[in-house]
Amino acid sequence: MDYDIIVIGGGHAGIEACLAASRTGFKTLLITQSLDAIGRLSCNPAVGGLAKGNIVREVDALGGEMGRLIDSTMIQFRMLNKSRGPAVQAPRAQADKFSYSRLAKETLEKQSGLELFMDTVTDILTQDGKACGVLTQRGMSFTSRAVVLTTGTFMDGRIFIGEYDHRAGRLGEEAAIGLGDALRAKGFTTGRMKTGTPARVRLSSLHLEKMERQDGDSEIVPFSFMTESIDRVQMPCWITYTNEKTHKIIMDNIHRSPLYGGKIVGKGPRYCPSIEDKVVRFPDRDRHQIFVEPEGAGTEEMYLNGLSSSLPEEVQRDFIHSMEGLEDAVVMRPAYAVEYDYIDPLTLKSSLESKVLENLFIAGQTNGTSGYEEAACQGLMAGINACQKLKKAPPLVLSRTEAYIGVLIDDLVTKGTKEPYRMFTSRAEYMLSLRHDTADERLTRKGYECGLATEERLQRLEYKLSRTEALEDLLHHRSFEQKNAYEAIKRPEITIEDMVGKVEGLDEFESSVRKRTELKIKYDGYIKLQEKLVDRFVRLESIVIPDDFDYDSVDGISAESREKFKQIRPESVGRASRISGVRTSDIGVLLVYLRK
Amino acid sequence: MKNFDADDIIFAPATAWAMGAIAVIRVSGKGCIDAISPDFKTVRKDHSLSTRKTATATYGNLAGLDDCIITIYRGRQSYTGEESLEISCHGGLQTVKEILDYLLSKGFRKAEGGEFTLRAFLHGRMDLTRAEAVNELIKSRGETAKAMALDRLNGSLYRRIEDIRALVLSVMGKLEVQLDYSEDEIGEDLSFPEEDIKSAIESIKRLSSTFSAGKLYSQGASVVICGRTNAGKSSLFNLFLKQERAIVSPIKGTTRDFLEAQCTVNSIPIRLYDTAGFRDATEEIEKEGIRRSEALAENADILIYMTDASEPVEDREYTEKDNCIKVLNKADIASLESFKAPFDSYLRLSVATGEGFNRLCDILTQKLESTITLPSSGDPVIENQRQKDNLDRASGALELALKHNQEGLPVDIIAPDVQEALLALGEITGEVTTEDILDNIFSNFCVGK
Repeated sequence: MDYDIIVIGGGHAGIEACLAASRTGFKTLLITQSLDAIGRLSCNPAVGGLAKGNIVREVDALGGEMGRLIDSTMIQFRMLNKSRGPAVQAPRAQADKFSYSRLAKETLEKQSGLELFMDTVTDILTQDGKACGVLTQRGMSFTSRAVVLTTGTFMDGRIFIGEYDHRAGRLGEEAAIGLGDALRAKGFTTGRMKTGTPARVRLSSLHLEKMERQDGDSEIVPFSFMTESIDRVQMPCWITYTNEKTHKIIMDNIHRSPLYGGKIVGKGPRYCPSIEDKVVRFPDRDRHQIFVEPEGAGTEEMYLNGLSSSLPEEVQRDFIHSMEGLEDAVVMRPAYAVEYDYIDPLTLKSSLESKVLENLFIAGQTNGTSGYEEAACQGLMAGINACQKLKKAPPLVLSRTEAYIGVLIDDLVTKGTKEPYRMFTSRAEYMLSLRHDTADERLTRKGYECGLATEERLQRLEYKLSRTEALEDLLHHRSFEQKNAYEAIKRPEITIEDMVGKVEGLDEFESSVRKRTELKIKYDGYIKLQEKLVDRFVRLESIVIPDDFDYDSVDGISAESREKFKQIRPESVGRASRISGVRTSDIGVLLVYLRK
Repeated sequence: MKNFDADDIIFAPATAWAMGAIAVIRVSGKGCIDAISPDFKTVRKDHSLSTRKTATATYGNLAGLDDCIITIYRGRQSYTGEESLEISCHGGLQTVKEILDYLLSKGFRKAEGGEFTLRAFLHGRMDLTRAEAVNELIKSRGETAKAMALDRLNGSLYRRIEDIRALVLSVMGKLEVQLDYSEDEIGEDLSFPEEDIKSAIESIKRLSSTFSAGKLYSQGASVVICGRTNAGKSSLFNLFLKQERAIVSPIKGTTRDFLEAQCTVNSIPIRLYDTAGFRDATEEIEKEGIRRSEALAENADILIYMTDASEPVEDREYTEKDNCIKVLNKADIASLESFKAPFDSYLRLSVATGEGFNRLCDILTQKLESTITLPSSGDPVIENQRQKDNLDRASGALELALKHNQEGLPVDIIAPDVQEALLALGEITGEVTTEDILDNIFSNFCVGK
C-alpha cells in the first residue's frame, strides 16, 4: 500500500478530509488537478452566514480547519441577525480570497503525514469489491486502504455563458473527464446539477458615492474556538439595486440564456437563483438588491452578489451598466453557469461511505450540496469516518439534535436532494440547541475521542465551562436593582452588559463568558422545552434496524416503501420514518416485525 | 410522541365506562405494586401485595374505597410485559371514579389511548397472532389512512381546517424567512404577523366551540331528576322513557340508588338519571343513595328539580343553579292560583295525566341548546374530542406565540410555537408527521386495552 487514505480534490471538502486523516495519524495523499487552486473561493469570497456560520464553528469544534482559515484571512466581519434571537444569529466574514487559498495550501504543506500531488483522477481502483486506490490521467496509479472523493463541480463539468460552452469546472480550469463514466460503469447513480456565479467588476471603475456603504462590525467574534481575538483591517461592502431598465434588458434577451434555451439540464438551486430567474419568477418586483463585495485586499476585483447569470457577455455588460453606481463598471470576469455530475447521496451510509463501493467515502458538492461550509463539514466527517473505518471503530454519526452537520448528512442520505442542497436554519428542528456559540460544548469531546480535536482544545472547553459555572454562581449571590441578579437576567429587558460595573466581580469575566451565561440563563426555559422534544425524537431513533434486515420477508410493507428501505437501508426506525413517501403503516409494520 | 414515556406508571379502566356488576382497572409501570401495597388492607396478614407472587389474586379493601380483588403481575406475564396490577372493583361509576382519583393521587398518570398496547409492543409482548392482528389493523388503516381521515371529516370541515392551516403556514413562512435570511438580504417589511395570528386563533376557536353542538347531538347530555322524596321523580323518569322501568311507589325513599336510562328528546340523546329523594335519611344504605344523588346532580348538564304541589318545598342549592328546571308536580290536584313566590316560577306538570310534559321537553331542549354555540347553517361542526383537543392545542400555541412576541422574545423562540400549531392542525386532517407516527397507530386502541 502506498497510502492509508487518498483524498481526491483540494477544495473545502478535500482540505478537511486530508487534514483529518493525516492528523489522526494516517499516511495520506491529497491528489488534485491544480496545486494552485487549493481552497479556492470560486464563488462568493465569504465564509459563514445563517446556519452556515454554525457549521463552520461545528467543524472547528471537532478539530477541523475552516474556522482558523477564515479567522486569519477575513477582511470584513458581521454577526448576522443580531435583532432576531440567539438561535438565528450567525457569523459571516468576507475573505481575502488569495490569502485564504494560500493559507490553506501552506497548512496542508506543513502537515506531517500528508503528501500533495497534482494530477487528475480518472478511475477508482478496486479489489474484492472495495476501493483500494486511484488511477490518473497521466497513467499513474496509487494504492490505499480508503479513498475520499471530493470532486466539487469538476466531474464532467461544463460552463455556459450565453451561446458559449466549455468543458470546465471553473472558468479557466479544465473539467475532470472520465471519472464520471468510470463510476457509472461501476454502478454508481449520477445526475447533473447546476450552479452559477456572477461577474466581477473593477473597483476603480465604480461610482461608490452612488451606492450604500456597508461596514463590518466593530466587535469581531472569531469562528474558531482556538482564536483568542481578531484585530484585522476591515473593508466595506456596497449596496445597489437592479431597476426596470435592468429587467427589460434581461427579458429582451432571455431566449439567449442556456437555462431557458434547454442547453442546461442540471437542476439549479431555487434559493440562489440567477438574476434572469429572479426577473422571470418575480415580475412584480421592481428591483432586486445587489451587494458589491471585495474579493480581497490585494485586488480590484469586486463580486456582484445577487447577479449570477448565464446570459451572453454583452448582455451582462448592458444590464450591469443599467444599475446605479455601475454605469461605467469594467467587467473583469463574466458571470457563468456551471453544470456537473453529482452522485446520488441516497447511495451513501450516514458515515458518508458509499454503499456501492466499500472504503470509498464521498463528500461535498459531489453529494449534491452547495456552499463551502456544507462541503467542508462533509469532508471532515468523511475524513474522520475513513479513519474510524481503518481503526475498526464505529463511525462518528452526528444526530439531528446535536449539530447542523447531523441535520445536513441525515437529510442527504435519507431524503436525497433534487437541487443543490444548502443549509437553512429552518431545516433544523432543534435550532435552539444548535447555536453557534455552543458548538464546542456539543462536539469537542466527540472530536477528541476520534483523535482529532487536541488536548488543548478540550482544556479550553473545560475552562469555558468552569468560568460559566463560576459566573452563574456569582450571579446567584449578587443582587441587581433590588433583585437577585440571576433572576433579573431572565427578564427580557435586562442584559448582562447592563449589570457590568453595577454587579461586583462581573467585569472579571470575559465578554464571551458573560454572553454565553446570559443566553444560558435567559433561554433556559425554552431550551428545556426543546430538550423534551429532543427526548421524543431520540426514542424512535433508538429503535435499531439491523444491517441485514430482510425487508422481503415482511409482507405488510408496501412495495414502494420496500424498495426505498432496501435502497436506503435506514439504521433506525426514526430515520426510516423520515424517508419521503414512506407511510405510517409501513413504519408500524416495521415496528411489529422488529419487536417480534 | 406525546406522553408515551415508557417509564412512569399509567392506569385506565379496562372495562367499558358504564354501570356494570364489576369494573377492572389496569395499572402498569415499575414500582406500582409497592406503591399500592400499603393502602391495600388484606384479610390475611401474610397477603401483603408486596410479598405476593406474580399472577396471584388477593382480596382486600383498597384505601377504604371499595372491597376488591387485585391481581398482580411482576413482569413478563402481564399484558404490557411490565410490572402491573389489575383492580377488580364494584362496577358503580362513582366507585370507579373514586379509585381512579386515588390512583391519580398516587402520582400515576392516566393512560393515553392505546398506551397499554404500545407498552406491550415496546416490551416485546406481542405474540405472533397479536402482531398479525395489529398488522391487519395497521394495514387497513394504512391503505386508506389519509382518505379515511378525510372521509371522517365532512368536506366542509376539511376545507375549513385547510384554510386555517394555510393561514398559519403563511405566518410560519413570514417567521421562517427571518430564520433563513439575514436582515439585509430581505428588503421587504418584516413586521410580526400579529393580525394573521389573531385571525387564525379566532377561526380555530370558532370551530372548536362547535364541538359542544356536535357533542350534544352525537353524544347527548345528562339530565338528572332530583328533589324531595315522593315528589314523583320516578314517575317523570318513566314518562320520559314511556315505559315502566323504575319501581314506582308512593313510599318515600323507594329509589335508594340512582337509575340510569337512555332516551331521546327532540333528537338529543339524553342520559336520564332518577335519583334518591333528598330527606334526612336514617338508614345507612339510604344515606349512601342520597350522597350519590348529590354527586350526580353536581355533574349534570341539566337538573330537573321536582317538588309536589300539595306540599311544595324548595332546595335552593339546586334551584338557584343556571342549569336547573324547576317543576311543580301534581298540578292537577292543587289549585293553580294558590302558589306564591317562589313557586309561581315553576313549570306546572302532572306526571299522572302528562299535562305540561311537552312543555318540559321544549324547555329542556332550549336550555341544552342555549349552553352551546350553535353554528350558523353550513358551518362545519367538529364531532370528537380528538379534533377539539387538537384545535385547542393549536389556538393555545398561537396564543403563546402572541404572548412571547408581546414579551419581546425573538423570532427563534416564537417560531416553534407556530410550528406546534401547524402540527396540531395537521393531526386533525390526518397528515403524518414524524412525531405522531406511533400515536397514530396506537391511539386507535381503546384506552386500557
